[in-house]
Amino acid sequence: MGTYLELHYLEELKRDFPTIEFAAEQAEPHIYVSEEELLPLMRRLRENPVFSFDRMGNITAVDYREYIEMVYMLYSRGFDKWVTVKCRLDREKPVAESMTQVWPGTEFEEREIYDLMGVEFLHHPDLRRILMPDNYTAHPLRKDFVPLQPKIEGGVLTWHRQKSSS
Amino acid sequence: MHNGTLYLAGESLKEMLLPVIGSELLVNLIMTLICIVILFLLVATSALVFTLGERKVCAWIQVRIGPNRVGPWGLLQSTADMLKLLTKEDIIPQGIDRWLWVLSPILIFIPAAMVYALYPFDDGVIFADVNIGLFLLIAISSQSVLPFLMGGYASNSKYAMLGGMRTVAQMLSYEVPMVISLMGIIMITGSLKMSAIVEAQSEIWFIFLQPIAFFIFLVTALVEGNRPPFNMVEGESEIIAGPFTEYTGMRWALFFLAEFANLLSMGILTATLFLGGWQGPDFLPTQLWFWIKAFLMVLVYQWIGWTFPRTRMDTILSFGWKVLLPLALLNLLLTGFGIYIFKWLL
Amino acid sequence: MAQTEKFVLNMGPQHPSTHGVLQVQVELDGENIVGAKPVMGYLHRGIEKLMESRTYQQCVPFTDRLDYVSAMNNNLGFCMAVEKLAGIEVPERAWYIRTICCELNRIASHHVFIGSLTNDLGSATGMIYAFRDREKILDLFNIICGARMTCHYIRIGGVAADAQDEFFQKTEEFINYVPEMLDEYNRLFTGNEIFQRRMQGTSIISREDALRFGMSGPNIRASGLSYDIRKLDKYGIYGKLDFEVPIGENGDNWDRYLIRIREIEESARIIRQCLDNMPGGAFKGKVPKVLKPPKGDAYQRVENTRGELGFYIVSDGTAKPYRVHIRRPSFINLQALDHMCRGMVLADSVTAFATIDPLMGEVDC
Repeated sequence: MGTYLELHYLEELKRDFPTIEFAAEQAEPHIYVSEEELLPLMRRLRENPVFSFDRMGNITAVDYREYIEMVYMLYSRGFDKWVTVKCRLDREKPVAESMTQVWPGTEFEEREIYDLMGVEFLHHPDLRRILMPDNYTAHPLRKDFVPLQPKIEGGVLTWHRQKSSS
Repeated sequence: MHNGTLYLAGESLKEMLLPVIGSELLVNLIMTLICIVILFLLVATSALVFTLGERKVCAWIQVRIGPNRVGPWGLLQSTADMLKLLTKEDIIPQGIDRWLWVLSPILIFIPAAMVYALYPFDDGVIFADVNIGLFLLIAISSQSVLPFLMGGYASNSKYAMLGGMRTVAQMLSYEVPMVISLMGIIMITGSLKMSAIVEAQSEIWFIFLQPIAFFIFLVTALVEGNRPPFNMVEGESEIIAGPFTEYTGMRWALFFLAEFANLLSMGILTATLFLGGWQGPDFLPTQLWFWIKAFLMVLVYQWIGWTFPRTRMDTILSFGWKVLLPLALLNLLLTGFGIYIFKWLL
Repeated sequence: MAQTEKFVLNMGPQHPSTHGVLQVQVELDGENIVGAKPVMGYLHRGIEKLMESRTYQQCVPFTDRLDYVSAMNNNLGFCMAVEKLAGIEVPERAWYIRTICCELNRIASHHVFIGSLTNDLGSATGMIYAFRDREKILDLFNIICGARMTCHYIRIGGVAADAQDEFFQKTEEFINYVPEMLDEYNRLFTGNEIFQRRMQGTSIISREDALRFGMSGPNIRASGLSYDIRKLDKYGIYGKLDFEVPIGENGDNWDRYLIRIREIEESARIIRQCLDNMPGGAFKGKVPKVLKPPKGDAYQRVENTRGELGFYIVSDGTAKPYRVHIRRPSFINLQALDHMCRGMVLADSVTAFATIDPLMGEVDC
């Protein structure tokens, strides 16, 4: 298992990106970053030769009921290092910059997050639903998800909200 | 003058019928009808035998057992298959060109069955021993391109369309080296007559005189018969079943009937043209020799088919035009020189 | 003047060679591919959502259904993630048994790869040979846990039951058979001219592209990048084992095939070392009946047969995971499909599907 990005690097990052926060006393402090600084921070992490995080190890979103948290786990092949970047998004209208601008290989994963969690990604090349049907309206991985009822109308499969939620 | 087993059997049947019926013309007519029935039975049984045979050979190559549930050793498997296919729903897809679609499986069967009229099964046993035998044979068998294209075009399916196009491309381009490779045989024999070609091999089989032609013929026959590794027409992993994609039940079975008739056809043709046809040492009847050779060739085709992966369309075409055609021409040239040298030596 | 038109061919979801229910919209110009768009979701069962309403132990069988031809590796990934989250110690004997099972499963999965690849190349015979040998491994799994494919053998804290002598003995027999088996494959496929012609130089993925698409597993290694989580993370006992990571050169279909053949050899080597050094002791660590990991999140990646399989688990302190995310290697590898198919002919698209080796259970999750 690779090592986590050292604290002094994080502090160095803090100088350039004032909005980032991390709990320095933790063993592996996650970086919390605001939406605005997400993309520049990621660019920096990818392109700075000191870190060179060339792989998006894991990208996902978690619904914490009050907010949606994007989780990016970056891995650097060359230095065998990890870093976790988290970004809290407004639950009603979650919008984040697409990481495809930095790591093109996140295209499908971001589509999946868009599909299942409802996070909209800006500047994504092809933001469509990937697993659920195209005319589906709900986002299944949200905590308040209620399955939609399938119905065939005029030979087309449509989805409807349940009348009464029992 | 002829002394083939089958020929003698036919002659004795004729002698038996003659006193009963009286008129020689009528007897000849009856004999002709019997021949036609036998030929059609042969084509039909070849499908029955080969559905089982193919599966057994395939299973043998693939370290499996093969069908063994229906009847002893699975002998009734093909009957069961036929019954199943007959009782299947006849699905007619939407948006098809109805006439072409219906005609295609029927038309494909005609050239496959018709070529049997030109095969010398035994000494003196040939339905139509015309003096342009080989030429007619190639002409008839090349007609099988059209039904494939018809089926592919009429099915209103992209897979079928691709399959139909592939068929035309590959069959047309392989007919050229095939015909030219057979030219060597015609040059040596000096005749297009099928019986003459067989008789010319009484001393030495053409496989020894024309090894290059044999190789070319083997490859082209595989292509023309849509056998793997050249079964681009079906190419089941890419275009599902090519022109047959939209056919079900008995219509689909007709395609297969034609395919198995073609398989036997290929075996017979190879045996006739290169392995001396019905000729062989005397300890076995000529008729047996003929079938041994034909089935051996069928086995070889099956063996090749079940061992190799499928080739790619573009490779197939470039191989045909860039390798086989020059090779066939070279063979033609060599045969020409060979004949002159042979004559000069004499 | 002849005019040609491009047309879209829908390959799948019912097609003989899309390995399940993948649909690929292939844009064709004659037989040449202009673009290939994978469409998925036909096998979407919502495993991530389902896991949220199960206890941690109950989640493990779901992982079997992800990548159903290498179930053991999936079990391992999830169990390790939970162990990391809850701080559970795994006894050494369990690790050895786990490693044997995972590597056996890797071989079995590569058998499926070889089988489906040869079948897609039109040689049904190849499939039968590969599946015949896979059957031997499935029988081994049958001995060890009573199941053949969806094993659910690796559990949180160890394994389900101790392995018997019969299993070790039969495994050894199988390992001794591997060189003979590979020799047969090499004679039947690797040396085959048509096979080579069709795979060499087709669907090339360069190093940069492999990295760009976030590929992992044998697919990225075929492109010449040594990227194997077993070597990088040295999880479990992999640090103690001596094995190599085979690397390709060109990143074409042929390399992706050869890598797998060589990986079978390496897996056999690993299994032999495990068998030779098998320690005694417990097969399962101490795991509370009701597992309540502390609040927090954990990410654990393992080298699955198809690449880097990661489990991200968020715990809220209850007996059920708050959120599980699975980084599925086939899903991400599939992004390269369009790039691999462009400029190839239709027949090569099938080879490209086969050599990416996607498994729809995993792609659709």
